[in-house]
Amino acid sequence: MHEYSLASAIVTQIEEIVEKYNVIRVKKIIVSASPYEMIIPDLLQEAYKIITHEMEKFKDSELLMEIKAAEITCIDCDYTGKPTEEGDPEFAYNFLCPKCGSRDTHINMKQMTIETVDLELSEE
Amino acid sequence: MVEIKQISVKKKAYVVNDELAENIRNKMKTKNKRFFNVMGSIGSGKTLILERIAERLSPYYKVFVINGDVATTIDADRIAKCGATTVQINTGGGCHLTASLMQKEFDKINIDDYDIFFTENVGNLICPAAWDVGAAKNIVVVSITEGEYVIKKHPIIFKGAQIAVINKCDIEGEDFDSKTLVEDASKIKSDMEVICTSAKTKQGIDDLITALGIDIPKRE
Repeated sequence: MHEYSLASAIVTQIEEIVEKYNVIRVKKIIVSASPYEMIIPDLLQEAYKIITHEMEKFKDSELLMEIKAAEITCIDCDYTGKPTEEGDPEFAYNFLCPKCGSRDTHINMKQMTIETVDLELSEE
Repeated sequence: MVEIKQISVKKKAYVVNDELAENIRNKMKTKNKRFFNVMGSIGSGKTLILERIAERLSPYYKVFVINGDVATTIDADRIAKCGATTVQINTGGGCHLTASLMQKEFDKINIDDYDIFFTENVGNLICPAAWDVGAAKNIVVVSITEGEYVIKKHPIIFKGAQIAVINKCDIEGEDFDSKTLVEDASKIKSDMEVICTSAKTKQGIDDLITALGIDIPKRE
């Protein structure tokens, strides 16, 4: 379950932010990823709960995942951006380049980004 | 008084691992060392291939292998008998290796004492695909006994690899066929190097070593 490692990487980065502020609690973390990153949102959330279970500042916090557009790079013409809607019927994750029509494309499978974190801060 | 503040983070979730992996890659390159990540299913033949590679290279190079498994030191012990220095990481349930796990092992040795480094990742075709360990090349091993659709079913790990090894070709015949796997590996990524091997008979092992860019004298 690689979602556990991913949740752990997210928590580590949020902890660094928490140290910079006078944080009472982390309330909500929003991450974004494309649908082609082998991430099952339910498993990611489950892993997050397991990791933060005994972390006082993360108590009752939530991790939400938003889906964003996939990004491809074309081997033939160096286009980088959204693929056409049409994928290869035979090979999943081989997408058509909208610029030159090549199917020889690489898909960025590590787009997951920590977008925002909502923190409950003490004003003192 | 409390306030809720939303912080814009905009950082890649993998950034810590990927930066460390890039650091390992650059360090190896600067020191003129080679580091390869061998991935594949349980039973695909990764360990026997590494045993064959260790046997072949150890008269000429100092080889260091980091093995990843949930438990036991079986693989590291096997490869150590073939002339390589080995270390076993037990992940205790973890399904892949990471750059930090590599770094911890590299910190325990003097990199300059070795020429070529391998890591044998935890056996599966899913989780290791997303975690860069800092290798110069990723190698995926599939055996023809895994079925003709194994590459189509696991495209992501092949997308991130430079070399696909189709193993157990010695038992090719009516029941097991390498043709579809060879074709699929090339179709999934046009610049993929595809090597057919039999670790059992040593067929293709020298071709694989050549594909890794390692010079060795020809077999007599």
